[in-house]
This record gives sequence, structure tokens and C-alpha cells, in this order.
Amino acid sequence: MQKDFDKKLVSDYLTGDKKSFEILVKKYLKPIYSFTYRYVGNAQDAEDIAQDVFLKVWRNIKKFDLNRSFKTWIFSIAKNSCVDNLRKKKSIPFSRFENEKGENVLVERIADPRPLVDEILKRADMTKTLNLAMERLSPDYRMVLFLRYNDHFTFKEISESLEEPINTVKSRHRRALNQLKKLL
Amino acid sequence: MLKDYEKLFSHLEKKEPPKGLFDRIILAIKREQELQHTRRLLSGFLSLFVISLISLPFSWSMLIKEIDTSGISYFISSAFSDINTFVILWRDFSLAIFESLPLAGMIAFAVSLGMAVFTVRLFLYKKRLLLGYLKQSFA
Repeated sequence: MQKDFDKKLVSDYLTGDKKSFEILVKKYLKPIYSFTYRYVGNAQDAEDIAQDVFLKVWRNIKKFDLNRSFKTWIFSIAKNSCVDNLRKKKSIPFSRFENEKGENVLVERIADPRPLVDEILKRADMTKTLNLAMERLSPDYRMVLFLRYNDHFTFKEISESLEEPINTVKSRHRRALNQLKKLL
Repeated sequence: MLKDYEKLFSHLEKKEPPKGLFDRIILAIKREQELQHTRRLLSGFLSLFVISLISLPFSWSMLIKEIDTSGISYFISSAFSDINTFVILWRDFSLAIFESLPLAGMIAFAVSLGMAVFTVRLFLYKKRLLLGYLKQSFA
């Protein structure tokens, strides 16, 4: 249903309805901004990247294959833009927590894994804790979890968006959950 | 499990796009559209300019050659040297002149000239836009 609506907007835009593109921007602005923010970790870069993503979408919309999902297409553009941004800045957030031996100090310091959800939800500073934990995950892990549980993507959609094989996504998801449990 | 984690992630701080980002995106797209339009205009202008620059002297020399070989100058000079005969035989003279017109050369020259005039007019009309774009590109 949502896919069909996106496709309709794209084909309407391509046949000359300029408003359709604005509707697409409105629809995806929040998810794309959240995605870029989660990926690069700061508001200014996230804003620039989000703007860049929509520009790229506009430039390439004629090449968009209507048999593909628009959602995964735009997220794959967002992911590549974030990677480019991080590459330019040469920042690898997770590595900040690694010592010379390559051990992750942060993970080492975390207490034993605890049962999730119910207990954790009782914590007063849940939002803060979760945000902090998410920030401490590597971008790859963070994005898999974010797309899966925040944007409700299927593994197939995540795989298409991140341009990774589905099995890689699944194993990364599993490892990311384990890491998150440790961090929480 | 999916529901549990979705519930957990509902606690994740929501990152709202800053106010005005939508407008900035739409503005950036419009600017890009204008830039594309100027780029197309500039490439059209440059191609026309180059084509007319090359074709104008060629078509001119072609026209001159055709005029020399066609005999039109002979008919015209006869008409002027013997104006009385021309007045009596004006129909035959006109037909002869018309038949000897170097049509191919004239058309080629007219097209080249038209193109050159159009290029100059286009440049004068969009001078500010084109120069602005060029300045921006080479800055």
C-alpha cells in the first residue's frame, strides 16, 4: 500500500506533477533525518546530509526503477551519504572506546547482561540510557537496530537499504542486540 | 520479541528535523533546477556560437563562389548597363536572374547568419545569468 503510494508519487512527479515530489520530501524528511542523525551523531551534519539525500533523490529520480521500493532506495542513498560524510571526517565513533590492544574498554566495563525490556523499562532514565547505549554502538549495529525497531523495516528492507546481504544483516542484528544488552 | 524491542525503542529520543529544513530542501532543489537550466542554456549557447562561428565564413565563401559561377552578376550588370532593354524585356531578365540565383549558398549563408544573430541575441538577453554562472563556476 505504502509502496504503491510512493510509486504513484514518483510517477506523478515524472509526468509533471511537481507537488508530488514535495509530498515525498514531507513524508520521508523525518525518517531520513532521524536515520542520518543516528548515523553521524550530530545535528548539523545530519541536516546537511538529509538535504543532500533529497537533492540526490531529485537528481536521480528519472533513473529510479519503479519495480524497486522507494523507501529502501532513499535509505540506501542516505546510508551512502552518511558513509561519505564519516569518511570525509575520518571519524569512527566506536573506535573511540577501543584501547591500543583493540579491546573495547566500554564493553569490558559493562556489567553482566541482564534481561531486557520489562526490567529496563522500569528505569527512570530509560530514554537517556537507551540513547547512550545506542550512541555507543558502532554505526553498522546502530543502524540495523534503528531501522528494525524504530522504522519497522523487515530484514529484506534493511538489506536493500544498507546494500548488504540479508544474512549479514541478520547476523549483524543478532550481534547488535547482544552488544546492546551488554551496554544496557 | 519484535514487539518487545519495538516497545523498548519507543523510548529512544525522537530526533525531529529542525524547523525550516523542508523549506531549505525545496529551495536547494529549486536552485539546482535553475542551475541545470542555466547549464543547458550555456551549452546551447556555446554550441550555437561555435557552429555559427565556423559556418559563417564557410557559407560566405560558398555564396561568393556560387555568385561567381552562376552568371547572375552578368545578368544584373547587363540590366543596369542597358536599362531600356531591361525595361522592355523585364520579364525575361527577371526569370534569368531568378534562375541563376545561387540558392544553396544563399540558404546556407542565411542560416549561418540567422544562427549568429540568434546567438548574440540569446547572449544579450541572458547575459547576467550566463556570466553569473560562469563567474560562479570559475570562482
